Amino acid sequence: MELFLQRLVDGFSEGSVYALIALGLVIIYRGTGHLNFAQGEMALFSTYVVYQFGEWGIPIGIAVVMGMAVGFALGAVTEVAIVRPISKKSPFAVFIVTIGLFQLLNWLDGAIWGGQQLPNSGVGSKQVRFPSLFPSKPTDFVTIFGANIKIQSLGVIALVAVLTVGLFAIFNHTRLGLAMRAVAANGDSAKLVGIRTGRVLMVSWGFAAAIGALGGVVFAGINTNVNLGLMFTVFIYASAAATLGGFDSPGGAVIGGFSIGLIQNMAAGYAPKWVGQEMKVGVAFLVLLGVLLFRPSGLFGSSRVERV
Amino acid sequence: MKPLFNIKSGGPASWTIRLSCTLVLAYVLLWIPTSGSNSLIDTATTALTLMGAALALNLLLGFTGQISLGHSAFFGIGTYTTAIFVTRWGWSPLKTLPVAFALAFVVGALVSLPALRIKGVYLALVTLALGVVFPQFIKWPKIAWLTGGSRGLTDTGFKFDKDNRTFELFGWNPWGNLRGENVKPFYYWIAVVIVVIVYLICRGLVKSRVGRSLVAIRDNSTAAAVMGVNLAVTKGIVFGLSAAMCALPGCLTAMKGTVTPDTTLLTAIGSITFLIVMVVGGAGSLWGPIVGAIVFQFITEKTGDWADPKEIPSILRPLFSWSDVAPAGGIFALTLVILMFVAPLGLAGLWKRVVTRIVNVVPKPAGSATVGAPELSTVAMPTWKPQPVSAEADEVK
Amino acid sequence: MTLLRARGLTAGYGPVTVLQGIDVEVNEGEIVVVLGANGAGKTTTMRAISGTIPRQGSIEFEGRNIQKASTDAIVRAGIVQVPQGRGTFPELTVADNLLAGAYVRRDGAKAVEDDISKWYSVFPRLEERALQRAGSLSGGEQQMLAIARALMSRPKLLLCDEPSMGLAPLITRELFKVIGGLNREEGLSVLLVEQNANLAMQIASRVYLLETGVIVASGTAAELSADDSIRKAYLGF
Repeated sequence: MELFLQRLVDGFSEGSVYALIALGLVIIYRGTGHLNFAQGEMALFSTYVVYQFGEWGIPIGIAVVMGMAVGFALGAVTEVAIVRPISKKSPFAVFIVTIGLFQLLNWLDGAIWGGQQLPNSGVGSKQVRFPSLFPSKPTDFVTIFGANIKIQSLGVIALVAVLTVGLFAIFNHTRLGLAMRAVAANGDSAKLVGIRTGRVLMVSWGFAAAIGALGGVVFAGINTNVNLGLMFTVFIYASAAATLGGFDSPGGAVIGGFSIGLIQNMAAGYAPKWVGQEMKVGVAFLVLLGVLLFRPSGLFGSSRVERV
Repeated sequence: MKPLFNIKSGGPASWTIRLSCTLVLAYVLLWIPTSGSNSLIDTATTALTLMGAALALNLLLGFTGQISLGHSAFFGIGTYTTAIFVTRWGWSPLKTLPVAFALAFVVGALVSLPALRIKGVYLALVTLALGVVFPQFIKWPKIAWLTGGSRGLTDTGFKFDKDNRTFELFGWNPWGNLRGENVKPFYYWIAVVIVVIVYLICRGLVKSRVGRSLVAIRDNSTAAAVMGVNLAVTKGIVFGLSAAMCALPGCLTAMKGTVTPDTTLLTAIGSITFLIVMVVGGAGSLWGPIVGAIVFQFITEKTGDWADPKEIPSILRPLFSWSDVAPAGGIFALTLVILMFVAPLGLAGLWKRVVTRIVNVVPKPAGSATVGAPELSTVAMPTWKPQPVSAEADEVK
Repeated sequence: MTLLRARGLTAGYGPVTVLQGIDVEVNEGEIVVVLGANGAGKTTTMRAISGTIPRQGSIEFEGRNIQKASTDAIVRAGIVQVPQGRGTFPELTVADNLLAGAYVRRDGAKAVEDDISKWYSVFPRLEERALQRAGSLSGGEQQMLAIARALMSRPKLLLCDEPSMGLAPLITRELFKVIGGLNREEGLSVLLVEQNANLAMQIASRVYLLETGVIVASGTAAELSADDSIRKAYLGF
């Protein structure tokens, strides 16, 4: 029972990270119809930036907020300067550009902070100690129903829950949120009611990148270090989460994230021989495949998502 | 701007050009192993390896418009098939090539089944996941007994007789006293043969009936299906072939002696590398990946030393000396982005744009000779349907 | 007073030029109808005026040049288009659609709410479905929603693109009654393009006949009905 609870909480805690990255993916997809392959790497870059701020003596809390601002800027600039002009050409070109960004950001991280670049995918690449946002010493846990629950895990879940609620408030009760939803629903009509769709898209990308930055920071905290390969698997998990939830449903992304985190952890914990640490990503792969084959619109996505 | 020259397709001028190009190519191919340095031979072999994989990927993309970010897995299937057969069952490495080909074909065809229903970016996502899963799969304790897990396998290549330094080729030794140092040209020639095979398969496919139905599918699957083209079978064949062809260069990697699951080309990064090579050279063009591989390897080699600022030519020093990391990765990433602005069809596309201004190839008059299939080289960029977010709201109930 | 004046309006899609330099005017308080068959360029005209496609020629609104203005600027200036095919925001509720329509307004939430109530009373069916997703409404209801949404921004000039398309005759009649009523009671100026000549003529102040990108006739509804040849050739009766 205790083990179950622990795994449950750990799963949700990991899932929070996936939820954040998936939210970013979904926001961008809803606004522009593109899948941002560089989402994970944008988050990683911002995470490294937060590390740098920390090295300069800025307290972690403020550093994270500043890092999110940097992420926002990164996302916004990417949309305006790169994605918007390219999206006039072809979806293939946009795809290639996001792949290029993926590579570029990762290389940049290595060049500035890592001192070593891929191919090692994290194995042997320089690891940089990263503080957690929450108390995370081995002694920082609470005991609930006999299970030792890390404070860090609870903190992460709470943080993501608060952020999600905040985001939904923005989406549904502010003018900007209305604009974002309108652009996502019908870009042409949005123009016809006077919405500056370009600006809205830019802000959407900014939001997505900022949220991703938070996700990266949280994950680095859990992982206790940052390395170049940090976000590879996270991106896969987040994509599986977004797919599971429905690529145009922000609520779905969050639920999907928690679900994937849960499934992963339970599978790895209860079937160590079959899943274990190596094949956790295999589980995500199977979920991804399964959803796309049997219910492409995901749990909460609209059928529009199917019309690929 | 009117072209300066007109050349009749199939006429004497065009044949002269083709002949001279082939001669130059043959000369270069022969020069490298005979007069080139060992490191040049190595570089060339790596370039050829990338070439084969990129050509394989290009077949899939150019013909079926499907993107795969998982070709590193097929490459890895080739690698590990050779490695396992050589270490476990003592096979001669060259004999493993057809086995790897067949195995990868089957896996590729299987992968094509879900790919029928999953399209565009989602397929890219799934294949990326495949590419990420593959190295993990190799390390999986359940099959690590076969694959050697994280540590990999050794002695997966040719067995060289230490005294005579000869080795057997299909159980036959035509080399006499081949000295150990001359091993590298051997790999080189295997690579050349692989690339030639892959190229011929691609070219043959393009010109065949299967090729034409593929272009039909890519451009409008509904129409193609209605006209009787069997989508599933054709796509399955192409995916299978693409996977199989990608496995061959993987086998070569194993033949060099050791194999580990963390080798770049077997990971998702490898898939991205193949993609870069293909796009830089020119996606959809038959010889684009060839050019791309050469350019890629050249730049990687040249800039490989630039981690040490002294090696960088002085003009570029301020640009690159601030980091102690080789700039190739960043250069290619940036190239990819810039390319989409400037030349989405890669170097091959640029070349065509330039050449068509100077030379106009006059096609054979209609009705003469056999009706040729559309050249893969004239295939346009894959037309993905964009993921529309603004669906037309006129779904009147 | 001239509200909208377009001279030599030219527009098209890519290499194809659809509008060959037409002259259109709308005066304050008028309902101007542009009639034409399929492919005549009616929607292109709408889009050219609302700024959704690039256009050449001179366009002036309230004396100001809007030829280079972006769509959102044109909306802020007071021209709102109801696109062909409704163009509602399908996932948003009816209420949110109306709210979106008021996006450019700066006169406070209370005024916007009052307007929403007003349009609910003009279109009671919308009030019934206020919290329903717009995509689940019938065609006629979506058309009403589209018009109400456009009116939420308190435009000076309403551009209507084939409002009758896909609608049952009864609904269409109701729709035109509403438009006519708004014009009479609130002085709303309207530029309407239609294939359905009959109903449109009944509320029109002036009519233009558009054929393959060129205006072939113009005048009041009465004048055009009186002209036998035009009537037979274009109006079908």
